Amino acid sequence: MKYLPKIMAVAISASAPLFGFAGQWQGPLNGIISDVIRSGYDSYAVSANSLAQQTKQLCSVPSKVNQAETQIAFQKNALDWQQVQWLNFGPVTYFMRYYAFEYWPDKKGVTQRQLRALAQQDPSVMETPKFWTSASIAVRGLTAIESLLYHPDFSPMQSKDHCHLLKKVTEHQFSSANDVAKQWQGSRAQDWVFAEDGAEFDAEQAALEQVLQQWLEHMSAVKDAKLETPIGYNGHENLKLAEFYRSNLSLPSIQANFLSYRKIYHAGQPSLYDIAQQQYPKLADQLEKTLINNQKLALQLPADYFQSGYSKTHRIEMATPLIKSISASQTYLTQLVTQLGFQIGFNSRDGD
Amino acid sequence: MLSRRHFLALSGVLASAPSWASIAVSEDKSLFASAFSQSKTEHFFGLFDVKGNLVWQTELPDRAHAPVVHPNQAIVGIVARRPGFFIDFFNVASHEKIIRIEPEKDHHFYGHALFTRDGQRLITQENHYPSGEGKVFVRGWPSGQILNVFSSHGIGPHESVLLHDDVLVIANGGLKTHPDNDRNILNLDTMSPNVTYLSLKDGKPLNQVANPKHLHQLSIRHLDVNQQGTVALGFQYQGPLWDQVPLVALSRIDQPELDYLPIPEQVRARFKQYCGSVCFDQSGEVLAISTPRGGFVAYWHVDTKTFLGVDNCRDVCGLVAHENAHEFILTAGTGNQYVSNPVREHIDLINKHPTVHWDNHLRQINT
Repeated sequence: MKYLPKIMAVAISASAPLFGFAGQWQGPLNGIISDVIRSGYDSYAVSANSLAQQTKQLCSVPSKVNQAETQIAFQKNALDWQQVQWLNFGPVTYFMRYYAFEYWPDKKGVTQRQLRALAQQDPSVMETPKFWTSASIAVRGLTAIESLLYHPDFSPMQSKDHCHLLKKVTEHQFSSANDVAKQWQGSRAQDWVFAEDGAEFDAEQAALEQVLQQWLEHMSAVKDAKLETPIGYNGHENLKLAEFYRSNLSLPSIQANFLSYRKIYHAGQPSLYDIAQQQYPKLADQLEKTLINNQKLALQLPADYFQSGYSKTHRIEMATPLIKSISASQTYLTQLVTQLGFQIGFNSRDGD
Repeated sequence: MLSRRHFLALSGVLASAPSWASIAVSEDKSLFASAFSQSKTEHFFGLFDVKGNLVWQTELPDRAHAPVVHPNQAIVGIVARRPGFFIDFFNVASHEKIIRIEPEKDHHFYGHALFTRDGQRLITQENHYPSGEGKVFVRGWPSGQILNVFSSHGIGPHESVLLHDDVLVIANGGLKTHPDNDRNILNLDTMSPNVTYLSLKDGKPLNQVANPKHLHQLSIRHLDVNQQGTVALGFQYQGPLWDQVPLVALSRIDQPELDYLPIPEQVRARFKQYCGSVCFDQSGEVLAISTPRGGFVAYWHVDTKTFLGVDNCRDVCGLVAHENAHEFILTAGTGNQYVSNPVREHIDLINKHPTVHWDNHLRQINT
């Protein structure tokens, strides 16, 4: 009976390993943790801090220049988040942090509704110690910050209440991002895996398996939620469902995701790519080529791809090669990790 | 429906089907039935013993979902996965396939079926897909002749259990689907799942319970009933992953509302809004719910509604009460089989089959 999150305590204290031996997956696992996850969260926390500082400056001296600077800081921060967005595993899974960092897709406009309600409350409520632990995830992260900076209902430059709200949300987001970054600095991936009860258990392999499952799931999300759904590839077009569409970061977000995919594949010595090259060279190359192709095709889409101005047919036409390429990379990655002996899930991926 | 010739031939086969008691295969006298896959295109149905050894297997044309066990004769069936178009029945002693039952025109199975306690009738939940109406078919056994067709009083009747001989409890999952659109949900905004207590005498609902309106996307999917008539329900939430929704509830025929069971939030979040199998132990005191997406089985003491804890097992879904009180057998997509006693806080790996992915549901056969 191990339902209490002992793993969390273990990870925060950063000591007792569940299983201590270094196995064959040490190279890619350590590389991904160090080069992609730790450094990714560090960058995200640093830019979250810059955003919070810049917001403070905006509220002290409301000006167009400061507003523009704050928007630039937001954009940097949102794209840093994209580098680690693929991973819903480890410290980010606690306290709903993952969903709070980005409350998306917000199909019902919950973020704006809750921000409006919050802006009308006494600002001191946000000073109470437990405010953020009970606050809705819709007002705790980048989606809320984007709304406050870009939605016409909010004007942090003109309204002190709106600016105060923005200040508080950016401060909270930094604090939360920083907590995750610190927890990754002080722990290993193996510490965040729930040990299998009643069976032999290789924590290193299980941790890498979780990481790979997350990568695969994120590929699906990029293809389906970020690309196909807003452009109406299989149904109605609704560009407002694109990620960060108000700040025009929908396409740069996808591009940042593809950058992180190649980092995952090549991180560590040996990397997953190196191991794949030794064991399944053809498959290793096929995956490499599609990952590069994804990057190229995303860069070829026009910068205003998610803005109005293109017909649905034209937009679908432009995206089709990329959608096919992402599908191919999903297939190759699935084949590769399965052949390398990882379980990508049977009942968990396709139940009823 | 069967032809007269086929029926007579089948009657002969069934007359020779032995009872469970006469085919005991081990000292423990238990067998376990489950569908499994070895790849995306290789699907099987198999029986394993208490040591986890496969004692019989047969290939299936498609992936299947839940086994169905005849209460007296040594016959097991396996129901095709939604949208399912076959139930294959086998004589466990001779290993022969004895009959395939197919749904009526414009209907498909939901992956689950059950026999009445006397073994005389087979009950299936089906989708009349042109209308989306949920149906309960009652067929004579072994003729396959349709005796009654009742409305399930909802959409998407996934699993049902017998409360007693004349009352069927149906989990109407609420999801409208059509085989032409694979498993795409066609009514996400309007879905309205419910639990219906159906009279098998006349098809009338004796009680019907639903989630509150704001939880209309909480699909009521799997269920079990204990000796005290308490029905346990496992949900699959179709809304966002971040919504904090209840995932397990209890119900009774005389209660107008669902009674949601407590789950510590850090555990509830790990469910990823998805319950797999629902199962009471032999005593009816302990409830187990598997979540393959969460990679664990969670347990409650039913009378006190106390959360007991979890067993962490990757890709676990199959769950069945073992003959000892408080004990469960678990199967996982990893090929592992476990025996767990959550009251004693003890779990053991029984066996592992690295090339086998045990499918969603597991049933026990007491020989």
